[in-house]
Amino acid sequence: MERQIINKKKRVFSVEPNKSHSAAFTRKYISHLVPALKKLNMNKNSSQITQQTVKHEVDMALALSAQEFAWSRFLLQKLSSSKNPTTTTNSSSKGTQVLERPDKEGGDEEGEIEEKLRELQKLLPGGEEMNVEEMLSEIGDYIKCLELQTIALKSIVQDTT
Amino acid sequence: MDLSVLERLKWLQQQQMVSPEFLQILGSDGREELKRVESYLGNNTDELQSFRHFPEFGPDYDTIDGCISRTSSFQMKTVKNSEDNRAIALQNKRKPEGKTEKREKKKIKAEDETESSMKGKSNMSNTETSSEIQKPDYIHVRARRGEATDRHSLAERARREKISKKMKCLQDIVPGCNKVTGKAGMLDEIINYVQSLQQQVEFLSMKLSVLNPELEFHINELSTKQFQDYFTDLPEAVSKQSMMADLRSFPSHQQGSLDYSVINSNQSTSLGAKDQTSSSWETHSQCLYNNLRTDPVSNLFSLK
Repeated sequence: MERQIINKKKRVFSVEPNKSHSAAFTRKYISHLVPALKKLNMNKNSSQITQQTVKHEVDMALALSAQEFAWSRFLLQKLSSSKNPTTTTNSSSKGTQVLERPDKEGGDEEGEIEEKLRELQKLLPGGEEMNVEEMLSEIGDYIKCLELQTIALKSIVQDTT
Repeated sequence: MDLSVLERLKWLQQQQMVSPEFLQILGSDGREELKRVESYLGNNTDELQSFRHFPEFGPDYDTIDGCISRTSSFQMKTVKNSEDNRAIALQNKRKPEGKTEKREKKKIKAEDETESSMKGKSNMSNTETSSEIQKPDYIHVRARRGEATDRHSLAERARREKISKKMKCLQDIVPGCNKVTGKAGMLDEIINYVQSLQQQVEFLSMKLSVLNPELEFHINELSTKQFQDYFTDLPEAVSKQSMMADLRSFPSHQQGSLDYSVINSNQSTSLGAKDQTSSSWETHSQCLYNNLRTDPVSNLFSLK
């Protein structure tokens, strides 16, 4: 039995703790979010904690934990510029990315795809300022980080209930 | 196929009589050139499949997109009149094999495109014999079968391939993309997925804001989660005691004593599809972090 415990002790550390990016991300995320929430809690002990501020913290933690990605920069920008609970600067008002004009013949299908790409660009923070290829790769990373974020948030919520 | 081409040529010849400007363009050698073309056609039949379609009269040259030209050199100029295009078409045919391939969808438009590209050349020299030797400032590329050769379309093709590669990567990441085929469907799925994830985050943060006052008491427990990432496969019979003992030896991000209550989250994550195998964590419902070790994750960061 003790042998087992010792073995488990040995196995507990991952050989390369930083190799798993997702683990690193989650670690960073939680380490950003939890103290921030704590601070929020302490500062505003009354019911001032709106959903907006929490969302803000959540997004901030996301952006800070994923700084190797372009979208996180944009997200940070957005967050820092919209500290007040006004409408965030949705970049949909900016000049949209000029995508290829579709041919007339295959026109409809191409147009659809272009439209969808544009929609996708709107979803991604800063997506409208990137070109299509860059956007596609960033979207993949963004999706992963969002997934990890939801996992982390779920676990936080679960624990407090 | 030969016949059709020849027929068309004859049609052209007839047309030629109608429009004298055409002759002007070709010079007095117009007739002879046409004959040369015919003989040429007699020899090379395969390559000229693409020339089945002749340019239409009238202003069809508005869509310059799709730039498929028979040559590896390309000049984007607006086409003025149809006679020029015919001249260009003929000059195109005079090109020896290799550059002319089977055409894809947009045949007629591509033909127009070709003419517009050749127009520059026709302006320079109307009587062209061995057009294999082109102007030195153009890049000569051997095209693959069924593909165009000019650098614009090459670059575009490379770009398209990159995009489709990335779409494939995304297919691995987004669940449920395998069943849908085609770019549009996949993009739909991806959009829906991203939106649903964002909504989940919003919802969870709302929940969190409601629960926030109680947060403080349980925050210490959260640190245990951080260390689960480090765990590799553990044997089945891991007991809570041993785990806690191990955890205590870890460096901690947070100060103070850590309360090692085991996380008993029986939640099913949104990624429930990615079930991990043979891990004792799942018996303790730590499927959370098992999901982190799925293969697609590593794909994620190699996307760039």
